[in-house]
Amino acid sequence: MDSISIGLWVSGGMLVMVLLGMRVAFAAGMAGFVGLVWLRWNGYDYDPEKFSKALTVSVRIAGLTPQSKVSANVLSLIPVFILIGYLAYYAKLTTALFEACKRWFAWVPGGLAVSTVFATAGFAAVSGASVATAAVFARIAIPEMLKIGYNKQFAAGVVAAGGTLASLIPPSAILVIYAIIVEQDVGKLLLAGFIPGAFSAVVYAVLIIGIAMTFKNVGPPVRGFTWKQRFESLPPALPIVAVVVIIIFFVYNPFGDAWGTPTEGGAIGAFIVFLMAVYRGMRWAQLKDALLETAKLTVMIFTIIWGVLIYVRFLGFAKLPDAFSDWIVSLDMAPLTILICILLAYAVLGMFMDAIGMLLLTLPVVYPAVMALNGGEYVSAADSAFGMSGPMCAIWFGILVVKMAEFCLITPPIGLNCFVVAGVRDDLTVQDVFKGVMPFFLADAVTIALLVAFPAIVLWLPSLVG
Amino acid sequence: MAGSGAVLEDSSLLSRLDRALLPLERFCALLSGLAIFSLMFLAAYSVITRKFLGSPMMGYVDLIESAMPIIAIMGVAYVQRDGTHIRMDMLVSKLSGRTLWLFELISVLMILILMAALTWGSWDHFMRSFDCARPWCSKDSTTDIYLPLWPSKLVVPFAFFVLSLRLILQAWGYGRAFVYGLENPAGVPLNLTVAEQAAIEARAVQGAD
Repeated sequence: MDSISIGLWVSGGMLVMVLLGMRVAFAAGMAGFVGLVWLRWNGYDYDPEKFSKALTVSVRIAGLTPQSKVSANVLSLIPVFILIGYLAYYAKLTTALFEACKRWFAWVPGGLAVSTVFATAGFAAVSGASVATAAVFARIAIPEMLKIGYNKQFAAGVVAAGGTLASLIPPSAILVIYAIIVEQDVGKLLLAGFIPGAFSAVVYAVLIIGIAMTFKNVGPPVRGFTWKQRFESLPPALPIVAVVVIIIFFVYNPFGDAWGTPTEGGAIGAFIVFLMAVYRGMRWAQLKDALLETAKLTVMIFTIIWGVLIYVRFLGFAKLPDAFSDWIVSLDMAPLTILICILLAYAVLGMFMDAIGMLLLTLPVVYPAVMALNGGEYVSAADSAFGMSGPMCAIWFGILVVKMAEFCLITPPIGLNCFVVAGVRDDLTVQDVFKGVMPFFLADAVTIALLVAFPAIVLWLPSLVG
Repeated sequence: MAGSGAVLEDSSLLSRLDRALLPLERFCALLSGLAIFSLMFLAAYSVITRKFLGSPMMGYVDLIESAMPIIAIMGVAYVQRDGTHIRMDMLVSKLSGRTLWLFELISVLMILILMAALTWGSWDHFMRSFDCARPWCSKDSTTDIYLPLWPSKLVVPFAFFVLSLRLILQAWGYGRAFVYGLENPAGVPLNLTVAEQAAIEARAVQGAD
């Protein structure tokens, strides 16, 4: 049997294991390990005497992968970003942020909803966890919106959709994971997420204003805040702005050399949030909880990373990504059409799979194909299909797939953010939240279309970094 | 996708072993958390010494790379214990009774086979850099401050061994549930619906703000 057939059988087997409910990390690791044994034994023509040799060599290859792959300085960014998120809860930044956004933005039509979107975008940026952001703001923002006569479903939809903004605005753990899997510059990817993330928030805000102006009873503006009150609301929310700005300056400083590495920026940000949390009353018991939760999420993510990397190791030997790339390139369709089909496939897959699992399982095969569509890893912008160089295409595609993953947090049947909002509010059903979030599907579709049509929205900031 | 689930406890031997293993797993996870916390201080210190004192910290990258296996792998059994490792539960959530326990048992046994292989492979990887005839018992070291590599390599087989113990207990738990047709078996993470997971997420952040 040729290596590509083995690659297909093993990948199919992995899919079956995942569908049957095996933990994703271990399904990938198992597929990789079995694939390595199979490939090697196939090389020995299935000689029974050489099976133990094939097994020993494969065990060695698979066994060194976890330690060798996780021992990379760049990967330390993930736990630091996750730590910021857990400390942020104890720093009690959400109320401060919502209050500041309310005082600055609530005067527009649909003002409280717009304030909620900007506050969730800001908090989601430091927390990095969409569902938790949705849970917190369901408690803070929905009661305030209902108090002044907002439609219940609409208010719930705003919070569920606002929570999705976490994945793009730095610090974003999922973008770091993408960068590691596709072996691209983490700093540039983090930088690239900033404008699309802020842009998504603006598109949501414009949609809300449009709805509020069309349906007069949907979201009345809130007026009466003085400039003094507005400026007074800023200092308590400053740590959030500080974290985002510091991380950006550690990657790209428009006034000179970058301040350091993204991990160092994340560490300084975490330190600021930690000091804030201690100031706001966090003690050892809460810190221990935060550290345990951080460790759990970190280990969960890293287990998928090393599991998938064992599978990737096997895929490399099986040459399956190369074969898939050749097939994609040979299709009689425009590259952009194929790219859109891939993004639509992610939208469907995301309805049933967790974002991190979905990206890690598919990217080892899909990413090389997208790069091949553009003309290869090292293609220049002039010779490429999408009008951008190989590294820029990697960044652009990363932002697009992460945006798709965000989108899936609010799509039925398992849009987790919607379940969280309904779980927090006794007066809301999941159906209410799914109905309320519908207009935001449209907003996300528009955003994704604009990011595809105008890659400069994504690529402008990273292109400034040498 | 499923997140973490609840683990029931009773007076059975299995449940007592589950509770006996838990402190070790939690300690490993806490080590991982403390390593992350130390990483924050280390990176902040590195920036401060470089930016304000003009002397970059020696061995910063070496220290981080050596600590990464503790951060990334040490708590793997604790995460398995409460079912936090993600999975696609579309099919499993539709199953109940013996069929469900059979699926869970097969899944856990397959993971156990994988972990047995990886414990062997990672131990082998450790042994290749461990030699007590040499200084620090080390055949290889980091590039800047020459830290021996074997301690960080040893973390992996240790964590995988603890995970294998957890998997044996879970296989026992699911096997017992399958044989006796139990409804809510002890010692294994129970499946939660998306709504139940959401409620846990929501409760987790209540009171923090």
